[in-house]
Amino acid sequence: MSSISLPAEFTLNRKNTYNHTSAVKWIVSHARPYGWIMVMLVAGAVGNAALAAYVPVLTGNAFNAMVKIPPDTSVLIPLAIIIGISQIIRGVLQLGRNFGAELLAQYLERDIRDELYLSLLGKSMTFHNLQPVGDTMARATNDVREVNFMFNPGVNLVVGSFMFIVMPFFAAPRYHPSLLITPAIFTIFYFIALVRYLKTLSPITDEVRATFGDMNMHLSESLDGVEVMKGAAQEGAEVDRFVGNARRVREAFVRQGDLEGRYISMLLLGAAYAGGLVHALLLFRAGTIDLGAVIAYFGLLRLLEFPTFASTWAYSQISSGMSSARRILELINSETQLDQNASGLTSTMRGEVEFRGVSFAYHGSEPVVDNISFKIKQGQTVAIVSQTGAGKTSLAKLINRTYDVTAGQVLIDGVDAREWNLAALRSQISIIEQDIFLFSRSLSNNISFGKPDATKDEIIAASVASQAHEFIQEFDQQYDTVAGERGVTLSGGQRQRIALARAFLTDPRILVLDDSTSAIDSATEDKIQRAISNAARGRTTFIITHRLSQIRWADMIIVLRKGRIAAIGTHDDLMKTSEAYSRIFRE
Amino acid sequence: MGFFAGLNDEKYDRQYTDRELTRRILDFFRTQVKRLVYSSITIIILAFIGAALPVVVSRMMDLLKERPTLQAIALVGVTLMAVGVGLWGLNWLRRSLIVRAVGDVVLDLRTRAFRAAAEHDLSFYDQFSSGRIVSRITSDTNDFGQLVVIVTDVISQMMQALILGVVLFRTEWHLALLLMAFLPFIFGVAAGFRALARRVTKRGMKAMADVNAAIKETISGISIAKNFRQEESIFKSFDESNQQSYQVNVRRGFVLALVFPTLNALSGIFVGVLIYAGGMSAKQGLVSIGAWYLFIMSLDQFFFPVLNLTAFWAQIQGGLSAAERVFALIDADPNVLQTEKLDVPRLKGEINFEKFDFSYSDKEPILTNFNLVIQPGETLALVGHTGAGKSSIAKLIARFYEFQKGNLRIDGRDIRTFDLGQYRRQLGIVSQVPFLFSGTVIENIRYAAPGVPEEEMLKLAKKIGDGEWLETLPDGLHTEVGERGNRLSMGQRQLVALMRVLVQNPAIFILDEATASIDPFTEWQIQQALNLILKNTTSILIAHRLSTVKAADRIVVMQKGAIIEQGSHDGLLAQGGHYAELYNTYFRHQSLSYIEQVKEMVGK
Repeated sequence: MSSISLPAEFTLNRKNTYNHTSAVKWIVSHARPYGWIMVMLVAGAVGNAALAAYVPVLTGNAFNAMVKIPPDTSVLIPLAIIIGISQIIRGVLQLGRNFGAELLAQYLERDIRDELYLSLLGKSMTFHNLQPVGDTMARATNDVREVNFMFNPGVNLVVGSFMFIVMPFFAAPRYHPSLLITPAIFTIFYFIALVRYLKTLSPITDEVRATFGDMNMHLSESLDGVEVMKGAAQEGAEVDRFVGNARRVREAFVRQGDLEGRYISMLLLGAAYAGGLVHALLLFRAGTIDLGAVIAYFGLLRLLEFPTFASTWAYSQISSGMSSARRILELINSETQLDQNASGLTSTMRGEVEFRGVSFAYHGSEPVVDNISFKIKQGQTVAIVSQTGAGKTSLAKLINRTYDVTAGQVLIDGVDAREWNLAALRSQISIIEQDIFLFSRSLSNNISFGKPDATKDEIIAASVASQAHEFIQEFDQQYDTVAGERGVTLSGGQRQRIALARAFLTDPRILVLDDSTSAIDSATEDKIQRAISNAARGRTTFIITHRLSQIRWADMIIVLRKGRIAAIGTHDDLMKTSEAYSRIFRE
Repeated sequence: MGFFAGLNDEKYDRQYTDRELTRRILDFFRTQVKRLVYSSITIIILAFIGAALPVVVSRMMDLLKERPTLQAIALVGVTLMAVGVGLWGLNWLRRSLIVRAVGDVVLDLRTRAFRAAAEHDLSFYDQFSSGRIVSRITSDTNDFGQLVVIVTDVISQMMQALILGVVLFRTEWHLALLLMAFLPFIFGVAAGFRALARRVTKRGMKAMADVNAAIKETISGISIAKNFRQEESIFKSFDESNQQSYQVNVRRGFVLALVFPTLNALSGIFVGVLIYAGGMSAKQGLVSIGAWYLFIMSLDQFFFPVLNLTAFWAQIQGGLSAAERVFALIDADPNVLQTEKLDVPRLKGEINFEKFDFSYSDKEPILTNFNLVIQPGETLALVGHTGAGKSSIAKLIARFYEFQKGNLRIDGRDIRTFDLGQYRRQLGIVSQVPFLFSGTVIENIRYAAPGVPEEEMLKLAKKIGDGEWLETLPDGLHTEVGERGNRLSMGQRQLVALMRVLVQNPAIFILDEATASIDPFTEWQIQQALNLILKNTTSILIAHRLSTVKAADRIVVMQKGAIIEQGSHDGLLAQGGHYAELYNTYFRHQSLSYIEQVKEMVGK
C-alpha cells in the first residue's frame, strides 16, 4: 500500500477504480473484482435449485416402479441412496450460495467503507466544516451495513429463489411441453404482483420509520427535560403530545400489517397448485403422462413456495440497500475542493494579516461577514468579540481558507491568501476550535499529533508552556494516559490546554484560538491566562473570546454586530467611543 | 425468520412471579378479547386448511389407480383452489386482527408507561438514565406486543403439525412413528446451531461495538487530522478497525450460512429413508400409494415448526423480560407523597425550612436540622463548594424530592398539602443548563404559560437590552431552536429560559446559575432579564457569578448542609471567614481588578 501525498489532499493508490456515475453502476463496479464469488453464488443457487427439483423427479420414478404390476422394489434402495446423496451435495452447493453472498457482502462493506473514508480524507476543510459529523457517521456505519444486507440476505435470496422459479421450466417439459403453462402464468403474475406490492409498501415502511423516529425523538427530549416539564407543571400536555405521536405509530403499523396481509402472492401459489394439478390430471386421464409424472410435476410446483415467501422481504432489502448506496455515493461525489494552488507562494510567513472589504456568505444565504476591513501587524493579538451568530468563527476561518471570501481580499504578508500555496498557508496557520477533539490515543500522541517525530522533552516543554503538564502528571499513567472516547474524560479547559500544547509543537506563525471555555475557579483561570499568553507570544494571534481580561489586553479589539464591524480599536479607545463596549466593563 | 430471532437476548433477573406476570399481561389484553377470540378461531380454521392440502393431494393420488373421472378432477381443482383462497384470505384476516390487537395494546402500554414516567419524581431519574427509560417505553413495549405474534404463530404451526400427526397415525402407525423419530434429530441439530449462532453473534456484537466506536472516532477526527496533515496516521487507525470488522463478520457469517444447508441435507436423507420404507410398506399393502405420498409430503410440514420451536423459548423469554421492564417502570413507587391536594392561591413567597432533615435515597444526609426563613420578595444567594447542599434546597422548594423530617412551609402552609400542579405553576425554575424543547423560541417561552399573546412576549423581549438579542436569532421569536435547543448558544438558551419565567410571572424564582462561558454582551442582557425577574419574586439563586452575588439581598454561605455565615457581600468579605475563602476560589477572577492585574500576572 504505497502512498502519495498531494498538497492539502490525501490519496492512496488503490488497484480498483469504481464507477461513480450511478448507484447501480457503482455497486456493480464494486462487485466486479469478486467475480469468482458471484460465480460461486450463482452456481450454488443453480445447483441448489436443480437438486431440489431432482427430489420430486426421483420420487416420481419411485412411484412409477411401485405401481407396476408386480411392484418393482429393487429400485427403491438405489433411489433412496441417490436422493440422500444428492441432498448432501445440494447442502454443499447451498452453503456455497449462502456463504458466497455473505463473503461478497462483507467484502463490499469493507471496500465501500474504505473508499468512503479515503474520499472523506481527500475532501477539503470547507467540506468537513459544513458537513455534520453525525450524518457522515450514519452513512459510514448504517448505510454501509444496509449495502451489506442488500447482498445477504437480499441478493442471496433473490438469486436463490429466482432459480426455484426457473427450475420447473426445465424439468416440466420432460413430462409434457404443455406443463409449462402453469409455471409461466405464475411467473408473470408473481412479478406483476411483486412490483405493485413493493411500490405500495415502500411509502408505508417509510412512514412507519418516520413516525417511530419522531416518537422516539420527542420522547427522549421530554424525559431529558423532565425537570422543566415538572417545574412548569406541564405533565398533562406532554402526555397528550406523546399519545398523539404513539397513535400515529400505531396507525402506520396497522396500515403496514394490512398491506402485508393482503399481499397476493400466496393466493397465486394456491392457484398454481390447483391449476397445475388439474392440468396434470387431465393429461394423465388422456393417458399422455403417467402417475410418476403427476407426482413429479406437483413436487416441482411446490418449489414455488420458496420464491413466494422470499418475495415478502428479499426485494425490499435490495431497494433499501440501493437507497443507502445512493446516499453513500452522494457523499463520495460531493465536490467542494478549494483550488490547491500548488504553484503558489511557499515562503515562510511573517504573520501580517489584512482584511480588505471582505464579505462571506454560505451558498446563497445572507452574508455572515459583511464588508470588513482591518490590518494587523506581525505578532499582534486581536480579540474578536460579539454576540452569538455575528460571524466571529466564519471570519477567523477565512484566514486559512477553510472558506474562501465571497468578495474582497484577505492578505497574508501582503499577498492574497488565494495566491499562497494552500499547504504552505495552512501549515503556518493553526486553528484551535471551540470543540476540541482528542483521539483515543495516549496524551503524548495527542500532543505530538501535528509533529509525530517530536521528542519526549519537546512534548513536555510544550505541555509546560500550555499549563497542561501539571494535570497530566496527576494521572497514574501520566503522558501515556489514553484520552478520548475510550479513555479518560478531560474537562473543556484541559482539552484546550492539550490543543495549545499541540500548537506549541507545530509553532505556527498565525494562531486562531476559538476560546469558549469557562473556568470554574480562579486558580484554573490563572492557568488558562498563562497558557494563552504564552501561546500568543511571538506570533500573530486571533482570539475569539468571552474573557474580559483577554479583551482588555488585546492589541486590537474587533466588535462585530450582524457580520459588520461595530467598533474597532484598543481598549482605551473603545471605552471612550463605544457605549455597548464600555458597559460590559461596568460592575 | 424465527430461527435467527433473539440470538442476542440477555438473561434477565425476574422481579415478578410467573403468576403475577401472567395476570398483568392478560390484563393488558382484556380490551382485545374479541379480536383475540376471532383470530384464535381463524388460526384453528387455518390449521385445518393447511393440513388439508397434503391430505387432499394424497387422496387424489389414490384415485389414479384407475382413469379419474372429470368430476373427480374438477373436485380436486375446486378444493385446492378453495384451500388457496382460504389460506390467503384467512391469513389476511388473522394478520389484520392481530396487528390491530398488538397496535392497541402497545399504544396502551406506551401511554401508561409514559404517563408513569412523567409522574415519577426526580429521584427516579437519578437512578435510571433517560435513555434506558426511552428504550423501555419504545422498544420494550414493542417486544411485548410481539409476544402475541410469536405465540399465535407457534400455536398455529403446532396445531397444523398436530392435526397432520393424527391423520398420519390413523393412516399407518409404523410409518408415522418413523417420521416422528426424525423430529428429535432436526430439533437437536437446530438447537445445536442456535447455541453456536448465539455464541458467534455475541462475540460478533462485542467486536462490532468496538469497531463502530473506532469508526466513529476516526470520522470525528478527520478535520483535526487534516488540520495537522496527519491523514495517513488516521487512515491507519481506520483501516485496522475496518479490517477487523470484516474478519469478525465473515466468521460469524460462515456459521449462519451453514444452518440451512445442513438442515436441508438432513431432510433429504430422511426423504430417502421414507421413499424406501414407504415403498416397502406399500408393497406389503400396509399403505396405499397416496398414503405413501402423504408421508413424504408431510416431512416438510413438520420441518418449520420444529425449527421455530428451537427459537421459541428465547423469544418468549425476551418478550417476558421486556414486559417486566415496562411493568417495573409503571410500578415504581413514588417518593414524593402529598398528604392533601389543596388549592394554592397566589403566593406571597415566604419560604420556611424548620428542623429539616433530607437525604437522597439511603445515602448520607445532605441537610440535618436545617432552618432557613426566606422573606417574601427577598433575593437570596446560596454559595458554597460543590456538595454543600445548595441545589438540594432549590429542588426541595420545587418539591422534586421528598424530605425525611421537619417541615417546609410556603406562606405558612405545609408544602405537603398543596396541589402540586397549582403550586408549581407559581414557581419559575431555570436550571444550570437551560433545557429547551424542539420547536420555536416562542413556543418555548410560552411553555409554562400557554395562551400568552405574542405582542406581550415581544414587549417583554424588548425590555431586555432593547431586544438586541432577538437580532441574533435568524427568525426572531419564530426561530427553530433545534433538538434540545442545540441550535442556540448557551447564552441564547439562558435568555429564552429567563423569558419563559418572565412571561410566567411566578411568585418564587429558582435559578441555578450557568457556569458556561457566555459572551459579555449576552451576559449583560442576561443580567437585565434577571433584574426584571428579581424585582417581582422571592428568588433563590445558586450563584456562580460575582454580579449575582452582589445583587442579592442576603448571601447564605453553606458548608456540608449547614449555614455557616450569612450577610451582604461587603460585610461577609470584611469578616474574612469562609465567604472570603469562597470568593478567592470562585469569584476573584470575575472582578474588574483581576482583569486589570492579569497583564502583570502572566508577565511574571
